[in-house]
Amino acid sequence: MISGTTALFVWTLRADSRSVWPHVVRGGFAFMMLFTLSLAWTNTFGSTRIGLRYFETICYLNILLISVAGISYFSTAVTEEKDAGTLALLQLAGLSPLAITLGKSTSRLVSALMLLAVQIPFSFLAVTLGGVLWQQLLAAWAALAAWLILTANAALLASARCATSGRAAAIAGSAAVVFFVLPAVTRTTITAIPAAVLPNALMTVLRNLPAAIEVLSPAVRIEIILNDWDKTSFVSTQFWLSLLLATLCFGISTLRLTAWARNASATDSEAGPMKRRMPIERCWRLPLMWRDFHFYTGGWPFFAVKFFSGAAVYTAFVVIQYVGTKQWSFSLNGDFGWTAMLLFASVLTVEVLLYSSGSLFSELRQSTQATIAMTPCSPTSILLQKAAGCVVAILPSACWSLLTLCISYHSVTTLVDIETIVVWTLMLAFSSHVAALLSLCTRWAALPLTVLISFFAFFIIAGPVLTIPDVVDRIAITHNYRPSRAFAWAITAFWTWLFTLLPLQLWIRDQWIKLSRQ
Amino acid sequence: MLFFPVPQTKITSCRLLQKKTDRSVLKKQYTVMPAITRDTVPAIFVNQLSHAFRGHQALSNVSFCVLPRTLHAFVGPNGAGKTTTMRMICTLLQPNRGEVEIFGSNIKSESAQIRRRIGYMPDHFSMYRQMTVAEYLDFFGTAYGLTPEQRDRVISDVLNLTDMDGRRNDLISGLSRGMQQRVSLARVLVHDPELLLLDEPASGLDPRARIELMEILRELRRIGKTVFISSHILSELADLCDAVTIIDRGHVRYSGPMDLLLESPAQQTTWNLRLTTALPGIMDKLRTLAAVTEVTEPEFSNGRDFTLQLAEGLTGNDLLRELVPLDLPVASIGQQRRHLNDAFMDLTTRGVPV
Repeated sequence: MISGTTALFVWTLRADSRSVWPHVVRGGFAFMMLFTLSLAWTNTFGSTRIGLRYFETICYLNILLISVAGISYFSTAVTEEKDAGTLALLQLAGLSPLAITLGKSTSRLVSALMLLAVQIPFSFLAVTLGGVLWQQLLAAWAALAAWLILTANAALLASARCATSGRAAAIAGSAAVVFFVLPAVTRTTITAIPAAVLPNALMTVLRNLPAAIEVLSPAVRIEIILNDWDKTSFVSTQFWLSLLLATLCFGISTLRLTAWARNASATDSEAGPMKRRMPIERCWRLPLMWRDFHFYTGGWPFFAVKFFSGAAVYTAFVVIQYVGTKQWSFSLNGDFGWTAMLLFASVLTVEVLLYSSGSLFSELRQSTQATIAMTPCSPTSILLQKAAGCVVAILPSACWSLLTLCISYHSVTTLVDIETIVVWTLMLAFSSHVAALLSLCTRWAALPLTVLISFFAFFIIAGPVLTIPDVVDRIAITHNYRPSRAFAWAITAFWTWLFTLLPLQLWIRDQWIKLSRQ
Repeated sequence: MLFFPVPQTKITSCRLLQKKTDRSVLKKQYTVMPAITRDTVPAIFVNQLSHAFRGHQALSNVSFCVLPRTLHAFVGPNGAGKTTTMRMICTLLQPNRGEVEIFGSNIKSESAQIRRRIGYMPDHFSMYRQMTVAEYLDFFGTAYGLTPEQRDRVISDVLNLTDMDGRRNDLISGLSRGMQQRVSLARVLVHDPELLLLDEPASGLDPRARIELMEILRELRRIGKTVFISSHILSELADLCDAVTIIDRGHVRYSGPMDLLLESPAQQTTWNLRLTTALPGIMDKLRTLAAVTEVTEPEFSNGRDFTLQLAEGLTGNDLLRELVPLDLPVASIGQQRRHLNDAFMDLTTRGVPV
């Protein structure tokens, strides 16, 4: 068992070290440290707590990246073998379930821990800059490492359970969203619901639920370490509980791997007359749009589920608002408006990133790129059709985001102004392009890399996007152009497309053509 | 060894058989093929094709020609350059040097036009496994710009041809490998291409599925399609194909009619005789024949099979003239042909120094 595990572990590490991308990512992380330092310096110039702000930014960025990696990188540990049909070969080669889960997960975990390790020496600059102690630094890194181990093993569980990488990523992503969103949603719900509406026992459970979930939250733990260091110890419940849950996930994955793999392969290779229960409509005039909408994003059934879920969520907000204010209003006021907007925008963001990172990759996974390239559709047409299929799929969340913005405009703008919404839209467009491009270059790390690149790009894109409308506006007013503001935004949109999106679009097209020829 | 009139220098016209002598040679060799005229345009014309990947020379001056409405085999060991050549012919890859013409159209300048006339089946499974058979074909029919009515008709036709009629509503993921391969073939036929490029279509198929596939290919030739097929199943190719191109390490070792390749000069005087029953002393009787220089009995023949070596300059007629008076219970008699496996081994790396 040991030799098999070691062979699998060494092979994975060797493949990782030979590939260029992991080294690029590690270099990217080092660059991120430098960038974060300059950011902290600019934001807190003259303050004595530059080090604290610098380290705080690094920590929150790492939480985000680890969570996204859980969805994409770790959740494919076992499913990539299932996708390639090699899991059975590994089992035939005498590898036990423990050897497979250890060999497949440990190498990825080590790669990810190395990414954290790269940052540790740089982070000690924070002590020199002031505002944070070296003990706080180490405690924070321990909390992040525990979160990484938990994420990796929870994703491993999803990977062992699911038949395909797509399903594993979807389950891991849903779990991550629930983990981060549920405490806030529960708190808002409890505040809005009058005491007599729900039974006492349920209210007690609901009151304790956010705190129970947040015991595991790295964000809460980091906040405590950095702001209330005197009241906490070096390792806390978050650390030990994360390790315990990670061990549990690993144990279940190992014990159930053979049974789950057998079920998956039985379903996959069922040679009988498998017929789809729900018929799918006739192919559209744009076949790839039809293909992506129906067979990649879930088609009309999933579209309807998303649309009616959005309606249910909005209605729930309206009802909760009524219970609190005793006044029926379709427009959400106070905190309800921006909370709903934030929820819909988050779902939209996750959907856009998942679809853009997976749409082209799904063709590579099925080796269909050459077959499609042989049709009379041009590469540009193929890419546009696939994008259009995904755009149809995101319409429910886009519609509910837009509807919430329009109906509850005043509530939403108490949190964010319209310029921020425009920048967010542009960043979403930019990130989707980056994710699509990376999905053609790397295997499964497209999503975490997109988050990383988008973080830096935000500072490069947001500045000009926010400045150019003002400049153009003033010039337009000087020359008596009306409406000047619309003209300014049109110029900004054109500029953004020309200098950020167009080069990415051309790059994606070239990469697609290159892969079609392989 | 190139039997087709492939010019060694750059040519300005792709018209085949510019020379009278070439036409007469090909007419003689291709008795089974439709009449070749001065205006016959080759389905595939490959001239001095060379290509390198990162310093590795995959193809070196590859030249051959595939005539329309024929089944042309493309064989070679692994890594010989078959798939690279196929991908260039189907316009997916641009050659570093040389030219490829499909029905007279150059792949560099007229790739869009060519793609409508060819159907390419890659050497690996590339299917949307979550679709049903009908949805998959409908998808590609739409991609090729067919109207819904045309698609309905074509889908029925190709499913009928590939004997998949009863499986149109089955999910592709639920089909066996052989059936998936037939669906792939149906997909290739959806836009009614004139030329089919099939890269290893029989790989991984069981004998039954392979035989069924070969039957379909025969049917395709009968309805006038040109089929260019790469495969490792040499025994079936020999019976199936009109012509063959053998490639090894990027060099064409032979390109021409299958019959010419299998007729080895050394074996022209070797005949196989099979009797319906074993007769005592038959070996001695056969040795007395004046036309026969040597008689051998193959292993496991049960005294019924014999190999006869004729004297130099004699033909089958001479042998028959002497056999008839013996009044033997003959089951069959025929000239021994070289097997494609032997020809392949002789021409590829082991037989020919590279």
